Amino acid sequence: MPDAVSTSASAHKSAPLAPKPFAPEDEAQLREALKRCSPSTFEAAVQFRKTTNPEHVPAVVIGVIERFVEPDLRMKLKDADDDLRLIEDLGIDSLTMMEIVILVEDVLTMSINNDELRNLRTVGDVKTFIDCKIRGLPLPKPTKFIPIEHVAAVMPIQPPFLFLNEASVSSTSANGKYKISGQEFFLQGHFKDNPVMPASIMLEALGQLAVLYLLEGAPTEPGKVIGSGTIFFTGCEGVRAHRICKPGDILTLSIKPKRMKMPLATFEGSIRVGQEKAVIAEEITLTFGFVEAVDAPVPINGAAHAPGSNGTSPSAATPPLRVAMNA
Amino acid sequence: MPRVFITGLGFVTSIGNDAASVTRSLRELRHGFEVYPPFQKPEIPCKVIGTIKDFGTDSPDPEDWTFPERYKIKRELLRTMAPNGLFAHCAMLQAIADAQLADADVSNADTGLYAASAGSPYLLHHHHDRLTKVGVMRCSPLGIVASIAGTLNFNLIAAFKIQGTSCGFSSACASSAHALGYAHDDLVLGRQKRMFVVGAEDGNVDAILPFAGMRTLSLQADPNLASRPFDAARDGFVGTGGSTVLVLETEDEVARRGVKPYAEVLGWGQASDGWNVAISHPEGSGSAAAMNHALRAAKVEPAQVDYVNAHATSTLIGDVSEARALRAVFKEHLPRVAVSSTKALTGHGLSLAGAMESAFCALGLRDGFVPGCAHLANPDAECAGLNLPRATENRQADIVMKNSSGFGGANVALVYKRVA
Repeated sequence: MPDAVSTSASAHKSAPLAPKPFAPEDEAQLREALKRCSPSTFEAAVQFRKTTNPEHVPAVVIGVIERFVEPDLRMKLKDADDDLRLIEDLGIDSLTMMEIVILVEDVLTMSINNDELRNLRTVGDVKTFIDCKIRGLPLPKPTKFIPIEHVAAVMPIQPPFLFLNEASVSSTSANGKYKISGQEFFLQGHFKDNPVMPASIMLEALGQLAVLYLLEGAPTEPGKVIGSGTIFFTGCEGVRAHRICKPGDILTLSIKPKRMKMPLATFEGSIRVGQEKAVIAEEITLTFGFVEAVDAPVPINGAAHAPGSNGTSPSAATPPLRVAMNA
Repeated sequence: MPRVFITGLGFVTSIGNDAASVTRSLRELRHGFEVYPPFQKPEIPCKVIGTIKDFGTDSPDPEDWTFPERYKIKRELLRTMAPNGLFAHCAMLQAIADAQLADADVSNADTGLYAASAGSPYLLHHHHDRLTKVGVMRCSPLGIVASIAGTLNFNLIAAFKIQGTSCGFSSACASSAHALGYAHDDLVLGRQKRMFVVGAEDGNVDAILPFAGMRTLSLQADPNLASRPFDAARDGFVGTGGSTVLVLETEDEVARRGVKPYAEVLGWGQASDGWNVAISHPEGSGSAAAMNHALRAAKVEPAQVDYVNAHATSTLIGDVSEARALRAVFKEHLPRVAVSSTKALTGHGLSLAGAMESAFCALGLRDGFVPGCAHLANPDAECAGLNLPRATENRQADIVMKNSSGFGGANVALVYKRVA
């Protein structure tokens, strides 16, 4: 796929759609375009075209994705979890993604740029993306993959008390990994001749992932960013440890925001080792505050240049580091 | 130098979609022609083609295509195929099973694939049409790999996870014969241990009809008379598509796997007419030179050749050129060399011809028959002296030659030997 696509703001056209009368020949065309999709997909598309009500969009998008997924994988879409990954879980490659996009563009009468597509990694990403386009809202921050050196660079927490080796952050969740090396200082005493990762530290690791989410993924107010010095732990509920974790284990951490309202953000979190459940936290709540954006946050790939963005980031240029991270 | 053998075949052709039905058609001289519905218009002068049965590829959307249920092809693979890619994919599956190759035998650094097709004029036209009508950003992202020359190799290499040598050959009607020759060389030179050689063509309106503009297609509406190589009443060729796949292996691989080959590939030769872009040399000079080179490379005397599967397409000029070339090469031995063109049964498969007809030779060498000249009533006087058996002969040939010629005056001859 051509990668040398202009990322200039002028290339972006995501104006809200003007309602257009939906003629019988449009319906025939729509039926032909969606002939391999479920009847409910077609119905949703007709409703959208008649009303331009964005509530019909998810059904259309899921219906189109389903049509391009191999039949034996379609079951996964039935109870469509937004975390379902397009490549890893559904076997969709970048060419199939293009097929999906072209059909969605055709059916919803919208245009999508190549560089916007590159950031869509999950079913949730796609749904949110299309929804924002339709409503003319600024596009959400794409999933960012954050390597170990960058984790330490943005976090207020530092080694030897940082328990994230790598992480990925989107607007709806964050995932991370931490390998218990056995060199952690507290393992000398926890326990005597029997190093076991303390459950409290595992909860700490989930909290750290939530901090990273607030810094890298959470929606902010125009001209503001969440200050890394403003985030603190306030409480947690429903914490259960299911598995003893020892040196050599790789912890797979994930958190999802449940509620977010200044100054509190509540997450649910879980840790797995392979397929095994290790820790569940029903709620972890952090407090946070906004600070003035000194270095105005530049949207990844200039994606926030949709109408609704109030122009706080006049530069369309994307810093090279961020481009590389999303490549 | 290692010897090279043919160990597997796969067919999707107008005269059969597996080795058994192809063999029956060759033995009984049953042709694969039908009146072709899209040609039944007053403005289209030709009426007949060699049709591919049990495959429906009329739609530009591969998901509309129909093909025998025994072939399971995922949408992910189908979506980038031209019709000729579908035919070839099915022929590949047959050839792999026929040669008893495991997955690891197909996908490794020592196994390559050479392919020959003219691409898909049909899909090229379709996708270009969409480009002009709906704009470039609404075109299928897969239109290019499904339609341009090379679509055949792109698809097969990816679908079958080929890791060795691969490329496409483009010498028109000599393409797959060239592919066979160079595949043989790769094995002899020790570059590869196994090669798939694939010829395939769409064989539909867009692939065949342009030849009517050259006045090279038969205008006969009777499927029993349309393709008559070497006959005085011949009036042009009948087009066809489909695919044939041959598996070539070194003697070490044959021994290691303990399989019985169809035939040995003794050698090949090629030469060019240096004459005209589309008309064969009147004396068949390039064709004769290619045959001489092939015989020398195969270390075979003209007197040892039992059968020649001719290129003869049933055109006025081409058949005579080849007859003259055969006369020049075989001289006094001409009467003992049986000559036939199986295009009388299949039609002309263009890029596919050399591979398809070489596979016919391999079937004949294994099963002990020499295909006869179907539809030949009155041999052209210019072809006098050629031994043109009217029926398929049930006899074992030892050495056979396959001729192919393409535009630009490219000529290839391949020599095959029975495996005792």
